[in-house]
Amino acid sequence: MQQTQRRIIYFVVLVLGSAWIFVSADKSGTSTSGKIPAPQQGFLAPDFALKTSTDETIRLSDLRGRAVLVNLWATWCPPCRAEMQSIEKVYQEYRDAGFTVLAVNMTNQDTLSAVMPFAREQGLSFPILLDEKGEVAHAYQMQSLPSSFFIRRDGIINEVVIGGPMSEALLRTRIEEILK
Amino acid sequence: MIAFFRSLFAPPRHLILLLVALWIGLALAEKRSERHGISRDALNNIVYYSLFGYILGGRLLYALSNLSAFVQSPLSLFSPNLDLFDPLAALGTAFLVGLVYGSRQKLSLWPTLDALTPLFAALAIGLSLSHLAAGTAFGSPTDVPWGIDLWNATRHPSQIYELVFSLLVFGWVWFRKADLRPGILFLTFTALTAASRLFLEAFRGDSTLIPGGLRLTQIIAWVVLALALFASESLRSVAKVD
Repeated sequence: MQQTQRRIIYFVVLVLGSAWIFVSADKSGTSTSGKIPAPQQGFLAPDFALKTSTDETIRLSDLRGRAVLVNLWATWCPPCRAEMQSIEKVYQEYRDAGFTVLAVNMTNQDTLSAVMPFAREQGLSFPILLDEKGEVAHAYQMQSLPSSFFIRRDGIINEVVIGGPMSEALLRTRIEEILK
Repeated sequence: MIAFFRSLFAPPRHLILLLVALWIGLALAEKRSERHGISRDALNNIVYYSLFGYILGGRLLYALSNLSAFVQSPLSLFSPNLDLFDPLAALGTAFLVGLVYGSRQKLSLWPTLDALTPLFAALAIGLSLSHLAAGTAFGSPTDVPWGIDLWNATRHPSQIYELVFSLLVFGWVWFRKADLRPGILFLTFTALTAASRLFLEAFRGDSTLIPGGLRLTQIIAWVVLALALFASESLRSVAKVD
């Protein structure tokens, strides 16, 4: 190809490219996911209401205004067990700043009688919710345990961490982000 | 089929796809490295040193930028959590390590980048597959017949678009004529990748928008495309004068 032909092609490509940038601009300014509930970063966290072992019902949307960590776990899952102490530690550290933890036990895949003894043994003070019908597992499209969803004060998922155990530094950096 | 693929490589298993792409890409790059005057050993070393820089730089620079969290729990520095990582800092460190190794070994810049191009092209395929598996880099809602159900909406299969384009670019990299001037292979790969990013970003549902609704990635891709075209033209002119 001749140099002149090539330069004309490059010029045309760049002009078409700039035109495409303007044509494909998102005028509504809502390209990033918006308010559809889905278990993915940038989306509204799917709402749920579950009972605790003390029969108290907790609804996620009632916690709007607080930064929330939704942690899906089971007693038979070693990384879930391993990260509980770190979660408890950061919960104590940040709860007064507006942070809360909802530890959703996958009760439909776990032994109910093992859940509370484990929580007592670990000294967990945050709410342990029982997902007896697998509703939250389904709504959050759970593939692996543990799965953690860091939710901002406005209810939008800021980050999803699949697998564990999460270290304290990871918890602190993510919590500080959702508390902003 | 997509659902089966997504469940098979659901996070964190999607990273396996990147590792496989790295392994295949390196094997292919090795096979062609002599054509560019780069020995297999030199190619392997530059990749492994850069990879080491990527891992180390990504973790250390992340720790530095979140110093207070790491001061309270210093052992987290050695945590297996892949999320304690700064990907941009990692790329920067990998580039610097590669540059330092290359200059110490007196490797010429353009032939080295040409030799590495099959690896980059294979990684682009691996990246699109990992996006598909993890459901990241998702498309905007649509009613086209080939839309896929993802994150509670029918969306453009942006990850599949990305896969098709990266396969086409890989095809060009692998089956092109062998007598290109040094640097042209890498720069054409860069230009094609930037052009496809510029085009495909329009179908994404997670773009970072700037005032006017413009997509930041498209602007960056346009600049990269312009620089790649300018650099390839300059290389051709220099070669003509020589």
